[in-house]
Amino acid sequence: MTNDLEVRNLSKTFGGFRLHDISFTLPKGYIMGLIGPNGAGKTTTIKLILNMLRRDSGQVTILGRDNVADEQRAKAEVGVVFDTNYFSGDWTAAQVEGALSGFYPNWSTRRFAGLLARFGIAPARKVKELSKGMQMKLMLACAFSYDARLLILDEPTSGLDPVSREELLQILAEYIEDGEHSVLFSTHITTDLERTADYITYLRDGELVYTGGKEEFVDMFRLVKGGREELSPRLRERVLGLRTFPTGFEGLMRTQDVGEFPGLYAEPASIHQIVVFTNKGGDFDA
Amino acid sequence: MHNTWKAARLDLALVKPYGKVICFTLLLPIAFAAINRSLLTGVSFAMCFVAMTTAYPFAVEERSDMARLYGILPVKKRELVLGRYLFVLALGVLALVVSLVVQPVVLRALGEPVVGMDLLQAAVGGGILFTLYTVFQLPGYYKFGSIKGRVFLYLPVAGFLFTLLLFPRLPLGSVSLSPVLLVGLGVVLVIVLYALSIWCSVRTMERKEL
Repeated sequence: MTNDLEVRNLSKTFGGFRLHDISFTLPKGYIMGLIGPNGAGKTTTIKLILNMLRRDSGQVTILGRDNVADEQRAKAEVGVVFDTNYFSGDWTAAQVEGALSGFYPNWSTRRFAGLLARFGIAPARKVKELSKGMQMKLMLACAFSYDARLLILDEPTSGLDPVSREELLQILAEYIEDGEHSVLFSTHITTDLERTADYITYLRDGELVYTGGKEEFVDMFRLVKGGREELSPRLRERVLGLRTFPTGFEGLMRTQDVGEFPGLYAEPASIHQIVVFTNKGGDFDA
Repeated sequence: MHNTWKAARLDLALVKPYGKVICFTLLLPIAFAAINRSLLTGVSFAMCFVAMTTAYPFAVEERSDMARLYGILPVKKRELVLGRYLFVLALGVLALVVSLVVQPVVLRALGEPVVGMDLLQAAVGGGILFTLYTVFQLPGYYKFGSIKGRVFLYLPVAGFLFTLLLFPRLPLGSVSLSPVLLVGLGVVLVIVLYALSIWCSVRTMERKEL
């Protein structure tokens, strides 16, 4: 299995923030969710991958090419969607093509026109007149027009309505269908990843908490619930991010620990619950 | 197509919505030349005005947060800077050519004689003035951006006032240069100044984190 993205021991310190020793790999043909709360280092990691920020140490390989030494060739096959549009608001969709197409040898005008039609974007519409969802689709249309092999999305769904979010997830699923394309998808709306992601990389306070398969990630924990009388000191020790109510409690527990408490109600945890509970004070690796 | 050309084309696309303003900027100095009955004054006014429009790509870029677009394009930062200089130079050459073609026609129609040496002096003077404005403006915009660095926008105004008020008082009449030497010195000065300016801008851009 070849990797479309390899990040090794990536570190960067600036303005009081430290991204420390981040390593992960994204195999070809898969979607990886880059998750973590705000300020975890997701955007910094993406900007380091794109060499928009200078790394202090580490190495990044995009589609087999070093992201600094072979930056141009690597970027020619990468599509990027940020949380907000990066085109001039005065451009029309057609002018966006005129401005960008020259930079990408693989750009197909026909494909771009087809994508605009599919996404319902009139070529004469100005970028600033498009909704946030439409602007996101315009960025995607550009990336697909030069057949970007790796798509990097930085919080693309923040501020989008549920219909647009659903559409995006559908587009991503189609994009990786042929097994030749990959997606790195940064988000703090983890529900977006429940269905689409194959891999998860979880950052917190600039540190790598987890990287690996999504199923393994979800399977590491169980959501446990019970009455207050069941909350023994031993149980308190085992529960991450314990939340108590007048009637009982809930929290996260490592799957291997659940067997110690036979009477306890345990159910599969979602990515969202794992992120929330481990952020509430649980030590992920303990 | 070389990436520098592509970057220059991108800048052209950035200022396209302001095409009418730029055209007005190119034509307004004709009136100034007619009022002052001086080709040199008209050309220096044209170069002052057009140098002020060089802030447009920086302003559009900053307003639309387009640094992120530059960060993802498959081009080197150096090529983006060279492209912008190429675009600015093209704008300057266009302004100079329009001034040197249209203004003498208007002046002659008003009964002012315009000889070959006047054209040469206006061309060299205009070129040098535009160079003097932009070689400081562009590194300034790269360093501070168009909003924080708006002081550089007004640099040509100061330069224009200098040429208008102080230039005629300088004892330049006593200096006699052959046309070839005049053009030669002008070209050398322009090349040296732009080389230094480009070096500064590339250095600033390469250190900048997008």
